[in-house]
Amino acid sequence: MTQTTFAQRDVALVDLLDRLLGGGVVVAGEITLAVADVDLVHVSLRALVSSVASAQAELPPPAAS
Amino acid sequence: MIDLLAITDADAPPAAPVRLIRAGGLGALCAPASSEPADSDALWRHEELVEELMAERALLPVRFGTRVSGEDEIAALLAERRDEFAAALEHVRGAVELAVRVQPSGAPGSLDAEHDVHGPLRALARDTSIQPGDDLFRAAYLVDRGGVGVFVRAVRRLQERNPGLAVLCTGPWPPYSFASGPRPS
Amino acid sequence: MNDKILAAPLDLDPFVGSEPRLENALTRRINSDPESVQKGLAQLVLTIVELLRQLMERQALRRVDAGTLTDEQVERLGHTFRELDARMTELVEEFGLTLEDLNLDLGPLGRLL
Repeated sequence: MTQTTFAQRDVALVDLLDRLLGGGVVVAGEITLAVADVDLVHVSLRALVSSVASAQAELPPPAAS
Repeated sequence: MIDLLAITDADAPPAAPVRLIRAGGLGALCAPASSEPADSDALWRHEELVEELMAERALLPVRFGTRVSGEDEIAALLAERRDEFAAALEHVRGAVELAVRVQPSGAPGSLDAEHDVHGPLRALARDTSIQPGDDLFRAAYLVDRGGVGVFVRAVRRLQERNPGLAVLCTGPWPPYSFASGPRPS
Repeated sequence: MNDKILAAPLDLDPFVGSEPRLENALTRRINSDPESVQKGLAQLVLTIVELLRQLMERQALRRVDAGTLTDEQVERLGHTFRELDARMTELVEEFGLTLEDLNLDLGPLGRLL
């Protein structure tokens, strides 16, 4: 690829990122985290609250000391 | 888990793997949660998908990476924010987003981008959103589909008339900057 | 990708800048807040992720103890949690925090983790 093509791609990517990551409808309580070019870690706060509640219900009672 | 792509008020069923989950006159365009890494290729594929969907219906693109646990959550979202989404859809119907960025070109000339570039361009748009950033001036314009050609020609003319500025215009994009609907004027 | 450019000057250098990369764009988005707000937000988000990770680990370990998983599943789980652990450490470092920072003190509710 020529240098011009790299620049064009970079320039278009900047505008794309601004939109995809900085714009659009935001759904409250959804958090998305991306690390470099790798995984997308997503946490739904509503799902988290209910999974904490059910995990606590499942825990065995503390052993008698 | 479900990836949420866009909100719409059209009934038309999308092509697989996209699904339309409907509630109260609105719909959410969704796909099964993607396990692929979020690199730039994935983002371009996502963009292509949203643009294909937009070719056939008015929609509000959802921020990339938004994932919900199930259909109940989606139905609740659509019910909770029905009025907001309906107004925003009306606002963007038949229009696309064009992005404009202005930097100093290094050549002599006025640097008043807001007056010399934004002034003329906003008259050609349904709505505008000036955005913070590293540029001298940066904004998104909501333009009628049929008005894109006129807008782009205007950008080129403004570039010719303003040698002190470097003017870049990209698009058309789905209305990411106008997904919250009309701005108070 | 480059057919998104509708009008541009011959020299694109002013627009290429230092920030086209995905990771920088994400950092830039978070960095647009004042530093303390940014760090607090990152801290909260990472705490939640770490909490979820620990929950998942506990649930998986319970199933391992109960003997309801095959050897292959156990091995896959182990690998996944090692990966998650490495990922968490990276994330935490990226935001200039330590794992200790994630253990937010909620006062009367005690520590989060």
